[in-house]
This record gives sequence, structure tokens and C-alpha cells, in this order.
Amino acid sequence: MNIPEDLKFTKTHEWVKIEGNKATVGITDFAQHEITDVVHVELPEISKGVIKAQPAAVIESVKSAFDIYSPVTGKISAVNEEVLGSPELINQDPYGKGFLFTVEFTETENNELTALLSAEDYKKLI
Amino acid sequence: MDYTPKNKHDKQKMFDVLGIKSEEDLFDSIPVESRAKPLNVSGGHTEQELLEHFKNIAAKNKTLVSFRGAGIYDHYIPSLVGEITSRSEFWTAYTPYQAEASQGTLQAIFEYQSMICALTGMDVSNASLYDGATAAAEAALLALRVSGRKKILVSSGLNPEYIKTLKTYLQNFDAKIVLLDLSPNGTVEKATVDASSDGDTAAVIVQSPNYFGIVEDMQGLSETAKEKNALFTAVVNPVSLGVFQAPGEYGADIAVGEGQPLGIPLSAGGATFGFMAVRKGLEWKMPGRIVGQTTDKNGKRGFVLTLQSREQHIRREKATSNICTNASLNALAACVYMSGWGNGGFKKLAETNISKASYAFGKIKNIDGFKAKFEHSVFFNEFVIETAKDIKKINKALIKNAFLGPLDLSGSGKQFKNCMLFCVTEQRTKGEIDKLVEILAKV
Amino acid sequence: MEKLLNELSSQSGFAYDIKCDVEADFSIPENLKRKSDLGLPGIAENDLLRHFTNLSRKNYALSTVFYPLGSCTMKYNPLINERIAKYDAFNSIHPCQPAETMQGILEIMHGLEKDLCEISGMDNFSLQPAAGAHGEFTGLLIIAAHFRSIKQKRTKIIVPDSAHGTNPASAAFAGFEIVPLKSEPDGSIDVSKLKEVLTNEVAAIMLTVPNTLGVFESKMREIAKAVHENGSLLYYDGANLNALMGFARPGDLGFDVMHINLHKTFSTPHGGGGPGSGPVGVKSFLERFLPVPRVEKKNKKYVLNYKKTKSIGAVKSFFGNFPVILRAYAYIKALGGNGLKNASAQAVLNANYMLAKFKDKINVPAGTRCMHEFVLSPKAALGGGVRTLDVAKRLLDYGYYAPTVYFPLIVEEAVMIEPTETESKETLDKFIETLNKIILEESVNEPQKVKDAPSNTPVTRLNEVEAARNPILKWKNR
Repeated sequence: MNIPEDLKFTKTHEWVKIEGNKATVGITDFAQHEITDVVHVELPEISKGVIKAQPAAVIESVKSAFDIYSPVTGKISAVNEEVLGSPELINQDPYGKGFLFTVEFTETENNELTALLSAEDYKKLI
Repeated sequence: MDYTPKNKHDKQKMFDVLGIKSEEDLFDSIPVESRAKPLNVSGGHTEQELLEHFKNIAAKNKTLVSFRGAGIYDHYIPSLVGEITSRSEFWTAYTPYQAEASQGTLQAIFEYQSMICALTGMDVSNASLYDGATAAAEAALLALRVSGRKKILVSSGLNPEYIKTLKTYLQNFDAKIVLLDLSPNGTVEKATVDASSDGDTAAVIVQSPNYFGIVEDMQGLSETAKEKNALFTAVVNPVSLGVFQAPGEYGADIAVGEGQPLGIPLSAGGATFGFMAVRKGLEWKMPGRIVGQTTDKNGKRGFVLTLQSREQHIRREKATSNICTNASLNALAACVYMSGWGNGGFKKLAETNISKASYAFGKIKNIDGFKAKFEHSVFFNEFVIETAKDIKKINKALIKNAFLGPLDLSGSGKQFKNCMLFCVTEQRTKGEIDKLVEILAKV
Repeated sequence: MEKLLNELSSQSGFAYDIKCDVEADFSIPENLKRKSDLGLPGIAENDLLRHFTNLSRKNYALSTVFYPLGSCTMKYNPLINERIAKYDAFNSIHPCQPAETMQGILEIMHGLEKDLCEISGMDNFSLQPAAGAHGEFTGLLIIAAHFRSIKQKRTKIIVPDSAHGTNPASAAFAGFEIVPLKSEPDGSIDVSKLKEVLTNEVAAIMLTVPNTLGVFESKMREIAKAVHENGSLLYYDGANLNALMGFARPGDLGFDVMHINLHKTFSTPHGGGGPGSGPVGVKSFLERFLPVPRVEKKNKKYVLNYKKTKSIGAVKSFFGNFPVILRAYAYIKALGGNGLKNASAQAVLNANYMLAKFKDKINVPAGTRCMHEFVLSPKAALGGGVRTLDVAKRLLDYGYYAPTVYFPLIVEEAVMIEPTETESKETLDKFIETLNKIILEESVNEPQKVKDAPSNTPVTRLNEVEAARNPILKWKNR
């Protein structure tokens, strides 16, 4: 199972990449494996506000639908439109071309990030 | 008759396996104080007795030559429709969950979807909804969901049964229904839509031909709705689309309607079906089952229920609708119905409705004491006549001749005082229409 | 492979024709005319008959195979009901006819309402809802209207996690928030856990009895007491009523609102997914909220009453799915009270007999007795990486429709079996033998064969992922 060392993780199987005041979010290799073939994705609108641990996107397989939670409170600054047309990217490259969205957060919201899991902690979780 | 196995020997063996003396022992988990008393339900009849019993009840209904529509229409149903829907392989099957063992139903629904798309000019059809009224209500819910807005504009020319149903469906939603008044011509005007819509308008729902039979300028209304970014929802009579502009042609976002004209008997208005088709981009938000084409392991073409993550059995409270059982067998009937006309035949069917209604319209409006309510309107198979005579009396006279006369519109508001709605489909013969005129003239 | 209609079409033949015996002038303005091609096929009747007949043969149906589909009550659909439903004097009645010209229709509706009251222990029924989920929605609107009328703000509905998906979906559509309730491993409700979520915001709890694992809710009285003491109502999902007729009545168990699936318990055919019918029953204090019109008897005549000011309104056009209502009524008249009780008795006997034949070999999460259906969890018994889905597909090869699988959600690899009362011991024995063979022998000895199943069906396993990723939802090139 691929768990990149440089990323942070949530208990709900999202990965987070922090760059300045931006957090890019996707689902982990473990999650894509559990979900099986992704057939459809619903992404939030750009500039929409999101709240930590609240649903921000939906990933659907043939027999299930999964809410994807924002790991941080803030505003959506970018979404990966490529996965809308090619949802298989989430299965093929969950940490790269299969990312979902980017959240821009403010200084005060920054401390929410300390609750995120390290790669090591996430490995223990799964 | 209770249709259970009657072999006592087998039953004893089953009791032995279970170590019980009778079936009653299997109901131990129901506390004695919760047990039912013997049911006071009459019955226990043989087939012969049932036939007799129901023949007697049926005799209390009167079959009439119908000049009434108002949402349910007397069209001819070709023999092939009954032959196919009477095949027990179709009517005793369940919802096609196991695709490999349900290819008959699945392909038929796929063909149904294809022909609904063809007729309406829309991109994606679902597998059917309960009826026209619930289809219109589901369209409103779809629009609310997609737009995030709160207001639904509804033409007052929408079938009142649909308006009632829509109100019921939305009664606990944070949404507002605004009724659009009809002009003196009996149509919705662009200016009315324009004046009533704003940034909170999710959908504009217009029926054409409307409840009073008039074909609306859907192109203009659709454009006006789009200027406000509201979803334009067309409620249409599928048979009229043989001649009149299709929802896809005027840019409708959603097309819905009552499917009963497509080969379903009147049946007291029940067990019909509703159709819904949408433009591309809305399919993942649509309610109901959808069948898609795919291939099997050997590359052979096959059909499956698809886009299922919209549905209640997966999405539960977040589903696009709660619908499960829909109206599959009636969609099959419509499929068989639509497949046998050919383009020319279906157009001729629609034209024949117009011809016969026009013939009747021309005669009736010229009877003393009768006049056309909307003299210059374009209509399909229904039209409104105003009269100085007593409509109740008219209908009584007609019933005596085994005719179901026009619908009394006195309940449809001031504008329709002393008005009645006639319907003439291809089923009515010249002789019947002439007789109708004769009776009307005598009242 | 059966061709598609557009592939058969040459526009050279037609099945139907029409003549017009009047001459009338009409003109349609250019802007209202259809411009685009209709895009319908043109095929001769002979070829259409073959096409659709051949399609029908690609279905497994109750008339061709055993259909042990859990929760769906695929009992025999009596042919006499079809015959009666085709009477012209039922079929060709317009819903806007005067009531005095459709006394037969109204008599049947009135009669069925009365019988359903007696069978269920409710006080009044509306036959308007078109299916089970539609009935749920109607019932929940009634519950909302009740609390509105007594000026209580109750916004939540408790739904156990073992419930049908329609329950939470219907509650959401009626404007409620869903409070999920974790059920016990046998699907039953723990009263203390229930009490934890029973706040003064709870309008009702939706229960299926017997539950989706086939177990009667033995603490039903306690549950009803707790819910009613909280000022909340009980909703009964009638999907499993086939277990109880003549033995227990939801109305006596404390339920206030319920729906019945006529296409399950009362033998009306499922039609490949409808039309069904989902009558809603209520206790008398909720009668005024039922949909309009109501069928009433006045001076020996049946009338339609639209003037119910507290009614939630109409949930569809007109009166309900009449042909389905008619078939259900004919079924009840065939069986009578004793026959109905016998039907439930035999349904429960058949299910228990099957369960007894599986219980020693395959895990049963809900105990060794059941009501009219039961759930197996074959995970441990399966070998070679075979899953429940594969078992279901393999059953198709043996000429059976598959049981309901992966439901209820709380059972791993669930296989849900409902034999119904209309199957003989011989049919059950053969099926038991086959299912045991697939799970206990084939999955261990020939797992690949099971994973590759089905192979005797018109198509082999279909690619559902491709179907959803790149949807083809109508004829191409049209």
C-alpha cells in the first residue's frame, strides 16, 4: 500500500498536501482500493466555503457512494476537473492526477492542521 | 383458493425436520397478547365464483364513448401491445437486479428510453416514473437540487392534478410555488414569465398542449426562462410530438409527461406511467432507474441498470429520489406502441387527432348557444367551448346516449365560467362526432 | 444477440395504420411545428412480434423459475386476477366519469380499504400511492401534517440501519432529518439504545416487522410504549407483512401509520419493476390527513370526497393504480380470512424449513428460527476467494433467479432468501441442494467456475463499471 511520507492524512482516508495556506486533497491508495472502480465524482464549486470534517465532494462506485470530507476549514480555490471526465484517474494515480480539490485557509484556521495524521500514524490506522 | 401446496405428506416431513406439531409453533416469537383474532375477511372463492363476482361488480360501471380527456386519453391500443405485455416472462419478472437473467426487460427499457429521447428530442430518459403528475413534481425537485434556488414557476395551464401533486410533494420543502396567470388567449405570455422570475427561480414549468388544449409558444417561453438561468421544464403529450415542436428543439432542460396516451388503457386513470427526459449534464441528478448499454466478458452487447449511486438503495437519504418500483410494464407497453408506427404513421396519428378535433370544433362552435372560447388558438385534440346552456344538463343528455361529454371547467377559475373542455382523439368516428353535435343542438 | 429496434428498422414496414374519416382544415404555424426527424423505427408487426417475444425469453421470470428474492415476496401471481383485470368494464373507464357511472370501481376500492383495515388493524386506508416508497412518502407527510396541526416542531425520523433504503430516502423527501439507529446483529432494536436517540425532536420511528433479517421484534410492546410516551409515532414498513396475516396486526402492535405493498403480500405481478401499489393505513386520529379523494359510501352509493381541508393533498393523479388494486382485491376474495392466515403460515413454514437445511453449514446471523425470510452470511463457508455476488451469478446457471444479496447492509456478504408460500417442498429441496453445492463444494473445488458464472445465460457477466463511466443510455447514431 502506497503511503507517501510527505503527506498528511485523515481518519476518513483523505490525504492532504500543505503548501503555504493551501491544502490539496485527495483520497488515499487504501481508500481507492476499498472503493473499487470509481465511476463518478462530484466536486465542490470554486470559492465555495468548506468546513473541517464536513462533506465536500462525493466519489461513487457502481454499488456505493462515499462522502469526501474537507480536512480543513476554508474556501475551495481549485478543483481537478479532469477526474470528472476520467474518474479512473482516482484509481490509477490517487496521489497525483487523481487529486480532488484545493482548499485555501486563513491563519486562524491553520491550527486545525495539527490534528492531521502523519504517514506513520495513518499506516497504523489501516 | 389459497395457492399453497396441498401435499400433507410433504408438510409432515417439514414439521418433522423442524420438530414442530403445526405452523403455529413457528409463531412463538409473537407474544400471545399481541396475537390477532381470526380475520373477518370474506372470501375463499373458486375461480368460477370469482369470475361471476367480478363480472357483477364490473356491470356497475358504464363504458362510455369518450369526448373527455383532461390528462387521460382514449387512444386505440394495437393488438401487439396486449400480446407482448401479456407474456408472463415480462409481467411476472422483478426489477432487473440480476442483469444476466433480465436482458429482456433491460433491453426493452433501453429501447423505451431511446424512443422517449427520439420523440422528445432530449438526451437522456429514465426508465419511467409513476405518472405524469409525479413526473412533474420530480422535475421540480430535480431543478431545486441542481440550482440551489427556491422558487418554482408553474403555468396555470398545467393540469390541476399535477399542480395539486406538486404542492403536496413540496409542502415540507423550503421552496415556493408561483402560479403564472394565463392571458385572455389561454396561454402563458413571455412577459409573465419574465416578470415573475428572478435570481431565485429554479424552474419554469409549462405544459403544452396546456390543460385547455392550447399549444404554447414553447420556444419563446424557454428562451425567457433561460435568460434567468432557470431550468425550463416542458410537460408534453407524447402523441402531440408527432406534429408539434419537441422539447429538445426549443432547448428544454427537462421534459416530462403522462405516458398513458402511448398504449395504456384508461383504467380509471390509474397504473399509467410518467416519463422524464433531460438534457445531457443532468443525468446524474435524475430520479429513477436508468438502463445503460455495456458489454459482457466476451465482448457481447448487454444491458444493465446504471448510474445507480443516485438511487435510494445506495444513497439512502441523499438519493435523488425515493422511487424504487416504478411502472416498468407500462413502459414496455409504450415501447411496443412507439415501435410500430414508423415516422410517417406516428405523424399521421397526431394529424388525425388534430383533424378529428378540428372537425368537431368547427361543428360545435357553430351550434346555437355555443361558441369557441379561444377562436384562433392552435390546439391538438382538446378545445374549450363556451355555452349559455346548462353544462350539467348537457352532460346528462350525453350520458343517456352512452357518451361521456366534455369536462365542466367551472372549477377552473373565473376565466372559464360556462366553459367546457372537449377531447376528440383518433378513436372517435365521424358518426360519433355527428351524433354528439346532434345531441348538443337539442339540449 | 437480439438486434435493437433501430437496427431492425428499414422504415419499410409498419405494424399499425390509421385512417381518418373526416375532412377538416387546420393549419399549424411554422414556429410550432416539429422540424426534426421523429427517429422512430418502422418495422412490420410480424418482425416486432418476434423481436419482443425473443426478448421476453431472455428474462428469468416467476412463471419460468423459482424466485427466492428476499424482501420482495415473489409469490405466485394468480392468472384469474389477470383475466379479471382485462375486463373492458374496468379498463375503459375514464377517471373523470361521474361517480354514478363507475360504482363498480368505487365498490372495489371501498371493499379493499375495508379488508386492508381488518388485516392490518388500522382504521382507514388510502389506495392512492403508486408503490411502497410512494406510500412511505405519503405516510411521512401525514406524520408531518399531524405534528404541524398540534403545533409541535418535530423534525427527525429514526431509521434503523437494517432498514430498506427507501425508508431514509422517503423521510428525507418528506422534509425530515434522519437519525440512524444501530440495530443488534439479528436486526432487532435494543430499547435502551432507542431511548438514547428518542428526543423531543423525533416525529417517528420507521420499523419493518418482521425485520429485514426475518426476525419478529419481540420487544415490540416496549418499543411502542417508549415511542408513544415520547409523543412520537410509529411507522410500519409493510414490506414484510406476508409473515403476519392472521397472526398479528401492525395496528394492534402499536403502529400509527403504515403502508402495504400490494405487489408483494397481495400477489399482484411485479411487471419487471411496476406498476405496483402502496396503500397507506392510519389510526383514526390521522384519518383527516389522508390524500384526497376519499371513497365514501352514502345512501348505498359510492362517492368521491375531495373536501377534506386537513388532507395532505394528492400524491398522484386520480385514485391510485386501479388495475393493481383490483387484482389485490380479487386475491383477497380468493383466499378469505382463513386463506390469508394459511398463506402466512405456509410462507413461514417454507422459510424455516429452508433455514433448517442451511443452518448447520452456513452462518446464520439471526438465529435458527425465522419468520417468512432469512439471511445467510456465507463468508466463512466460501472457499477460493468466491464472494456472494459470484454465488448469486452461479445460481442463474442452475436456472434460479438469485436471492437478494448484500442486503441488509449490516450482514457481511448477505444472502437473503424468501421462498413464499406458493412453492412446494420439492422446489425448495432442489434449491437447497443447489445452493449448498455452490457454497460448500464448488467454491472450494472449482472456485474459478463460480467466479466466471453465469455461462448459461443470454450474456455472461456484464461490465457495470464501463456502463457507468461512459454511459450509453439510448441508441447510438440517433
